[in-house]
Amino acid sequence: MWSSINTASMRHSSRLFAFGICFLFLAQLCFGQELRTPATATAGTSISLATAGTGSATLYLVGPSSALKKTVQLGEDVTLPAESVRSAGRYLAVLCSGSCESASFFVTAAAPAELSFLVHPSRVPVDRQNAISGAAFIFDKFGNLVFSPLTVNFQLLSGKSEITSREVPAHDGIAWFRANSGKQTGPVRVVASTGGHSTDQVVAQVASDPCNLRIDAQSTAKNIVVQTQPVRDCSGNPVPDGTIVTFTRRGPDGLSTVDAPIKKGIARAEMTPSGPAVVTAASGVVMGNEIHVGH
Amino acid sequence: MIFMKMTSTTKTAVVATLALALLAVFCPAVLHAEPPVTSSTVQLNVAGAGPRSVEDLTEHTIARDYDAAWKSMAQAFAQGSAAPLSAYFTGSAKTALAKAVKSQQQSGLRSQYTNQSHKLRAIFYAPEGDAMELQDTAEFDFQLMDGDKVVHQEHTVLHYVVLMTPSSDRWMVRRLESVPGVGEKEVSSAQP
Repeated sequence: MWSSINTASMRHSSRLFAFGICFLFLAQLCFGQELRTPATATAGTSISLATAGTGSATLYLVGPSSALKKTVQLGEDVTLPAESVRSAGRYLAVLCSGSCESASFFVTAAAPAELSFLVHPSRVPVDRQNAISGAAFIFDKFGNLVFSPLTVNFQLLSGKSEITSREVPAHDGIAWFRANSGKQTGPVRVVASTGGHSTDQVVAQVASDPCNLRIDAQSTAKNIVVQTQPVRDCSGNPVPDGTIVTFTRRGPDGLSTVDAPIKKGIARAEMTPSGPAVVTAASGVVMGNEIHVGH
Repeated sequence: MIFMKMTSTTKTAVVATLALALLAVFCPAVLHAEPPVTSSTVQLNVAGAGPRSVEDLTEHTIARDYDAAWKSMAQAFAQGSAAPLSAYFTGSAKTALAKAVKSQQQSGLRSQYTNQSHKLRAIFYAPEGDAMELQDTAEFDFQLMDGDKVVHQEHTVLHYVVLMTPSSDRWMVRRLESVPGVGEKEVSSAQP
């Protein structure tokens, strides 16, 4: 008895449930709203959101740099002007009329239009391994990082002649390089270019450490004058004026040193004679020849 | 027994007081006008960063500052004020977010980012250490409100590409861009 009542009751409930589902489905079909967004869109191009249903609804659109709320007519497409979708990223559209429905879509960067270029250092000694480095960040005209596969060409130019050049594929909007410095002093233009757009930075190549430091000595009535031959780096570039050369005299009275800056390529110092002595010179980590004076 | 002897007005007052006390204990957010406090966690993996390897101190600082950046962003959107953005955002990220906050405020909208967790992966660290690019798999609850009405809420997992640069005492977010990612999942609901 109880089981037959329960079975009948369950059948009744099932029918009611099925009826309810059908009613809700039909109600949604006849009176509900529907929102369709593009799968993807490109920054700076107008897009359309398709709506279905009847009557009016409120559309909310929230993007990386914008938000809007507007009343729309269901069944009509909503066109978003190019200005409102300039930022790449996720946009969330919510359509409310009684109930709310949402959809999201991604806006991707437009074509590359700008390169942001970091180059180090601003001054570099000549003939150094991997001494110059740079990273280029690829942006579209709205400042969005461009993630599409691109190749960046890095060039090092001294005057009009090319020191080195290489093509580097960009990953996640970034390409980077390392390069040796050239052998001659002077400004070097480091150029990054992609898709017809380029930018550059200037690196000053300066002489490296002195190489083959050689000194001569001359005795005068009162002093001994020691001076270097023109000081150059190992690539033959004159070492800049102001570079310090240290002269050391080792004699019976002990050790004495004189620091002298290079002027017009030559460093010069005067030392007081006090018997036989050995004079040497050094600049940075480079030692020069020894000369014997007063013998 | 004492309760039975009270007048109906007194009983109502007692019940109301008890209800408020219970509400204050179990649902303090309801009684505060302030936006909900956003908790977040950041896990940073620097194993894949290059060409420069990430120093321990930098790793710690990046995680700390990225966390703070998201908290300040959540605060800005919840309060409808771009002021909190200045501490951890710079360049185009700051400009874009400030515009978003302003336009939400003008439209009478408010957003809430809560229960954040971030899995950050450093993918590029510039040779001279002056820029870092990261990928973030961010998971959070998001609510969009029109006035006091919640028009959309979702628990979502989104992927971001982040560009950070150092400033005097912290790393700033210079670019924060959500990108379609593999395995993106989204559960959304709407409350009219």
